[in-house]
Amino acid sequence: MPVSNSQPDRNNVQGMIMRGYTHPWSCHLIFKFATQPGAKGFIKAILPYVQSAADWGDDKPEMMLNIGLTFTGLKVVSKLTTSDLAGFPPTFKQGPASAGSQQSLNDGKSNIDTWVFGQTGKQVDCVVHVYGMDEPALNKLVKIVADAAVAGGLTEYLPIANGTKRLEEYATVPRNSIHFGYLDGIDQPALNWGNPDDPADLSAFLIGYPNNTSQPGPSQGNAGVFAKDGCYNAFRMLYQDVDTFDNFLDTNAKEIAPKLGLSIADATEWMAAKLNGRWRDGSPLELTPDKPNPELSHATAFGYSGDTTGMKCPFSAHNRVANPRDEVLSEPGLPPRLIRRGMAYGQPFNSKTASEDRGLIGLFLCGSLSNQFELLYSWINTTNFSNIFPNQQGQDALIANRSMPGADTSFTIPTSKGPVEIESLPQFVVTRGTAYCLLPSISTLKSIVE
Amino acid sequence: MTNPLTLYVPIKQDAKTQETAQGIHDNFVAAVTAGLDASAIVHYARISLIPNASGEGFHAIMLMTEFDGPMNPYLKFFWDNPGTKLAFSAIAAIALTPPNPPVTDLTGFENFINNNNLNDAGDMYAAYPQTVKEIEKAFSTAKAH
Ligand code: HEM
Repeated sequence: MPVSNSQPDRNNVQGMIMRGYTHPWSCHLIFKFATQPGAKGFIKAILPYVQSAADWGDDKPEMMLNIGLTFTGLKVVSKLTTSDLAGFPPTFKQGPASAGSQQSLNDGKSNIDTWVFGQTGKQVDCVVHVYGMDEPALNKLVKIVADAAVAGGLTEYLPIANGTKRLEEYATVPRNSIHFGYLDGIDQPALNWGNPDDPADLSAFLIGYPNNTSQPGPSQGNAGVFAKDGCYNAFRMLYQDVDTFDNFLDTNAKEIAPKLGLSIADATEWMAAKLNGRWRDGSPLELTPDKPNPELSHATAFGYSGDTTGMKCPFSAHNRVANPRDEVLSEPGLPPRLIRRGMAYGQPFNSKTASEDRGLIGLFLCGSLSNQFELLYSWINTTNFSNIFPNQQGQDALIANRSMPGADTSFTIPTSKGPVEIESLPQFVVTRGTAYCLLPSISTLKSIVE
Repeated sequence: MTNPLTLYVPIKQDAKTQETAQGIHDNFVAAVTAGLDASAIVHYARISLIPNASGEGFHAIMLMTEFDGPMNPYLKFFWDNPGTKLAFSAIAAIALTPPNPPVTDLTGFENFINNNNLNDAGDMYAAYPQTVKEIEKAFSTAKAH
């Protein structure tokens, strides 16, 4: 039985699971395999560059990569039989465009038809995440991966600029800021070890250890052996419509500034914070409700249970939905957590770059695609997870899919001067593609190419 | 959204299994009531024994329910709930074809449901869009007045 209590060996776990990389350059290459020998040859060629979670001390790698395989991908490369493969969770097997997953993701058929990867006809088998300390280092390793792909007969999806460019990180200033101007990458699960009841424990993310929250699987049979020390990655390319976002802030700031007694500039920042739950500098509304406080930019010690009116942070602000913290939930259990390893792509919006693509390269790591990623997505699209939320058909103010049938797209911001009512929130974020990957252990990757 | 689940599981024909099936059927409501009340996501749940064509004994056991929330993540609530976990595990234990993977953890349970569910969301008519929680809230407020 592969479930074990012993502490995971960091040398066997792919690095991005246990640590957030600070390499400023990254590129995310998306492939479909052609043949088993070709796919194995490809993995063999890039295997020496796979970074583990072991401490690299002072010897920070100039360039490195991590590998994800979708269910169709691991069917091609693994030695697992049909009966073994049956052991993987259905959500992983069926993939993000399936009817089951779409009950939570709610992208809508018309959106899925436009995906640049991940739906029927654009099957993804493998995603390679390449990181570099500088541009030459990144380019060097990207070339090695791309050459190996050509040698193995793989098809590469180029998601940018009408199928001509790869999905590359845009090195934002300040570091970790994303389009829409928010600071990101602030709060992450602690990934401590030894408490299977804690949703932030490493055992909620790594497959093969006892856990009572997300209950990662498979843990049985050969599928369990294959998956042990792996973690799933819901890889999602999310376009951010900066023009719509800025116009929304401008229009509403002008309207509400007099009511709130704020300048238009301050009302703009206020509205951006109310959509998200943190000011654009990262400081949380719960700790500093009236104005941003840079000293609290990285603060994570706060809750929502003391704010039962939403006066500080609106109920459906993105952060309050994506991690309700101490909010009383309507279903038993604590809120699930996600490891976020995403980054921005595309140039900042201005008059010259307006028509270009930009957004978030979403890497949402979890031990269970259903019980962490999809559960949170269902809350994002329908805020029905806590009885305290006045609008049980409401939506995450920042990122929900507004075209979902039955969605209430209104947004209420409680204030001491009476509520600010937004009749209908626009669609700020549009999905461009999704792939559900397993980030297998390093021993599993080696076993594939043996 | 409300989801239909029709779990249809052909069962073994020996006398002991048939008796167990009858027991699962007879105890079902008592076994699941407390857990389903607490969850407040299930509209209705019922269990049926499908007779053999010969008229003697049962060919299969069928569990039908309508519940709120997307199927993939909400299956966990059935597995974490002792009453429903017991009922589903008991059905899995008498299945004619032993479930692969075995129904001993959440992944096994998710597969068991997916492999034996005869419905998807598009198969169901609903007279109303409200969730159990909304309905209960509306009526408890009405009572309070
Ligand atoms: C383009 C789309 C998105 C944008 C612009 C965005 C923006 C943000 C920002 C600004 C933060 C606060 C920074 C932080 O706490 O690190 C945040 C936090 C978070 N986001 Fe998103 N996000 C996006 C998509 C998503 C998606 C798709 C999910 C989940 C499926 C998600 C889940 C989370 C979680 C779990 C947090 C941490 C909340 C906390 O712990 O307080 N985000 N996001």
